[in-house]
Amino acid sequence: MLLNAVYYMEFSPRYHHTADMLQTEQHLIEAAKQNPEHFGPLYDKYYKQIFGYVYQRMDCKDSAFDLTSQVFLKALTNIEKYEYKGVPFASWLYRIAHSEVMQSFRTKKNLRTINADISDLRNICEEVEQEYMEEYKSILMSVIKNLPEDDVQLIELRFFEKRPFKEIAEILNLTETNAKVKLYRILEKVKKTLTKNKKHGN
Amino acid sequence: MGTKFNIDRKPVPDEEINSHKDFGELIKSFKKQSIEKARNDTHFLKNKKITYSAIIAGATVLCTVTYFSVFKNKETKQTTYDKITTIPVQTNTQNSKSKKDFIIPPISKLNIPSQKFKLKSEKGATLVTQSNSKIKIPKNAFVDKKGENIIGDVEIQFREFHNQADIIASGIPMKYDSAGIQTHLESAGMIDIKGFQNNEPIFINPKKEITVELQSTQSADKFNMYALDIVAQNWIYLHRDNSLKGQVEKKGVNRTFAQVDSAMNENVITKKLRKQIDEIPPKIDIEKATYSKKINQLPKSIEPTKPAKAIEGRPKFQLDVSAKEFPELATFKNMVFEVGSENKNYNSNLSDITWSSAEISEGTQKGKNYLMTLKLRDRIEKLIVYPALSGKDYNEAIKLYDTKYSEYKNVLAKRLTEEKRLKLEFEKKQADYIAQQKKLNDDLIKERIKIRQEQERELANQFNSIGNNQKVVRVFQVSNFGIYNSDCPNTLPIGEVLHPIYIVNGNTPLLNVSNTYLICKDKNLVYNLNPKEPLHFNPNEKYSMCIISNGKTYLCNAETFSKNTSNKQNKINLSELSSEIDNVYDFKKALGI
Repeated sequence: MLLNAVYYMEFSPRYHHTADMLQTEQHLIEAAKQNPEHFGPLYDKYYKQIFGYVYQRMDCKDSAFDLTSQVFLKALTNIEKYEYKGVPFASWLYRIAHSEVMQSFRTKKNLRTINADISDLRNICEEVEQEYMEEYKSILMSVIKNLPEDDVQLIELRFFEKRPFKEIAEILNLTETNAKVKLYRILEKVKKTLTKNKKHGN
Repeated sequence: MGTKFNIDRKPVPDEEINSHKDFGELIKSFKKQSIEKARNDTHFLKNKKITYSAIIAGATVLCTVTYFSVFKNKETKQTTYDKITTIPVQTNTQNSKSKKDFIIPPISKLNIPSQKFKLKSEKGATLVTQSNSKIKIPKNAFVDKKGENIIGDVEIQFREFHNQADIIASGIPMKYDSAGIQTHLESAGMIDIKGFQNNEPIFINPKKEITVELQSTQSADKFNMYALDIVAQNWIYLHRDNSLKGQVEKKGVNRTFAQVDSAMNENVITKKLRKQIDEIPPKIDIEKATYSKKINQLPKSIEPTKPAKAIEGRPKFQLDVSAKEFPELATFKNMVFEVGSENKNYNSNLSDITWSSAEISEGTQKGKNYLMTLKLRDRIEKLIVYPALSGKDYNEAIKLYDTKYSEYKNVLAKRLTEEKRLKLEFEKKQADYIAQQKKLNDDLIKERIKIRQEQERELANQFNSIGNNQKVVRVFQVSNFGIYNSDCPNTLPIGEVLHPIYIVNGNTPLLNVSNTYLICKDKNLVYNLNPKEPLHFNPNEKYSMCIISNGKTYLCNAETFSKNTSNKQNKINLSELSSEIDNVYDFKKALGI
């Protein structure tokens, strides 16, 4: 049953790109490599997504906007190094965003924040075959907060941001299978904790 | 510092996110960073090339800052749509190839003609199009590529697309990728608006807006406004179309007639006339060549040379001259060549030498003197000599000359008369051709006016044929030139699926299908389908089809489509569109729209 987590919500319109769209995007990237002024359409297209990614991991909105600007500045500076690997340009931007966000936590400029909706926590419970109860909220929050950073990332990307595995793998520089296996193990841990708490509660 | 966990945090509104978007600022930071990086280079000042680059980059920053300060509207930061739709216009030339590849009218003979309007930029105008739609242009609405206000005549080119025939003919892609979901746009009206001054593209002043009130036959309140991003090759959602208002207008508008592209305004008659007009200049050239040949063939005669009397005491040479080479000298008996006084190199010794060869060629005055070349081993002497006769020979030669000169004059007079006659004959023929060409041109203009009037009548009928309650105006606020659409996205029809085999004339299967259009009869919607994919349709809806293969157009009308699909045999019968159909109005009729 846990494997359902691997397949559900596989389609993400935000990530889905047709071959034509990828090709068009590639033309835009090549144009931006030639002239930074041509970076505009990519900036417009991905600004909201990158801000969403950054703000998802932070508490302060203004800092998230500043960091988003830094991400795009870094992307523009390094666009010549970008190589097309058959995935949307977004994945490359997310990697930059990930690196910038992590850097800001390391330098203690920003507070690492996990943002989730109750429905997301409910989804996690369903995935681990547990019926959601109000008391699970604090347990889940505690479990997730205490997970290693890489595991938190996986939970965030999959359950809080509802991204497909292909995209998660690209952002975290993993293989798709590796990402699935890792998430499976994390969910096993969560399941154990919840089951243990349920028994104690009973 | 620990980790914070927020539950159900309030999302940031799109408006707030968009308000932080500032591409100009990003470019500014990028260029500033590039210069700083260059300055930090230890070899910066030693390397002239880098110094120059930095200076150029600095200048670019200044230009960019100036540019953005001109175009940036402080009150309302440019939205996604503004920026994206600006790109195709600003990089008009650079992206011409991609645009060309992106918008390809599938039927070469058909396209929607541009309606052209001229106005004074500083005065603005309200333009009325063929469909009685209005383009409201405020004064000083245009700027040039430097962002400077434009004064004087500008040309607005406008195309409007109202029905499925217009959509197919235009080649404008109506597929819309909405966050990864492929849909097809059902149109309530689409426009393509461009501006030029002296053939150079112009831009809409960021502080102004053009309002297009487009007549529409789609009265449903379900449409959104989109702009076509020709760089990203997708439609950009702008906002919900809330512009509906009843259209009751009939007459009395100060109508400024649009000038329609002549190339797009053709029919069989105009084509024939143009062909006839084009055939005239080559005909004139052929006549000209014929007459030139006739003139060249008229009898020619050479003016005889008047014999000269030999001067006593002048040195002379006697030579045999070829009558073939020098016919003018042939009749002179005992002719000698007198050495001219201009020969400073002559001395009497030259007459004593027995030269091994002596040649005569044309001299400095044709027919009067000759160049005599004397050779002996390595020695060469050149002398200007004059043919001369003496005594009885001279008298006989003069008599002969008089006779020949008189003959020459007669021949010459006849030739000149004949030449004049031929020239007059040619000029008359040429004048006839020019008159014929002028008449054909007049007929062509009349025919084109007739076509335009028919088109206008057709459009007027289209709008008059529907009730007032169905007539609406779709209002487009245009802040950048480009293609705009009031649309509603539709997914592929649900119901039946066929793997169609297209049959022409009842038995020939159609191969190499390049475009497949499924035309929805109940909606203003054309599905541009992949010919290799199955055909989805709703059996409760009416469709016709238009198929393009090997440059030919094939149609399946609604009746045939319904009949062919109801038997579920996958065969769809097509008929070829007449090659005579070369305008969108006839195409519309053929499609049964």
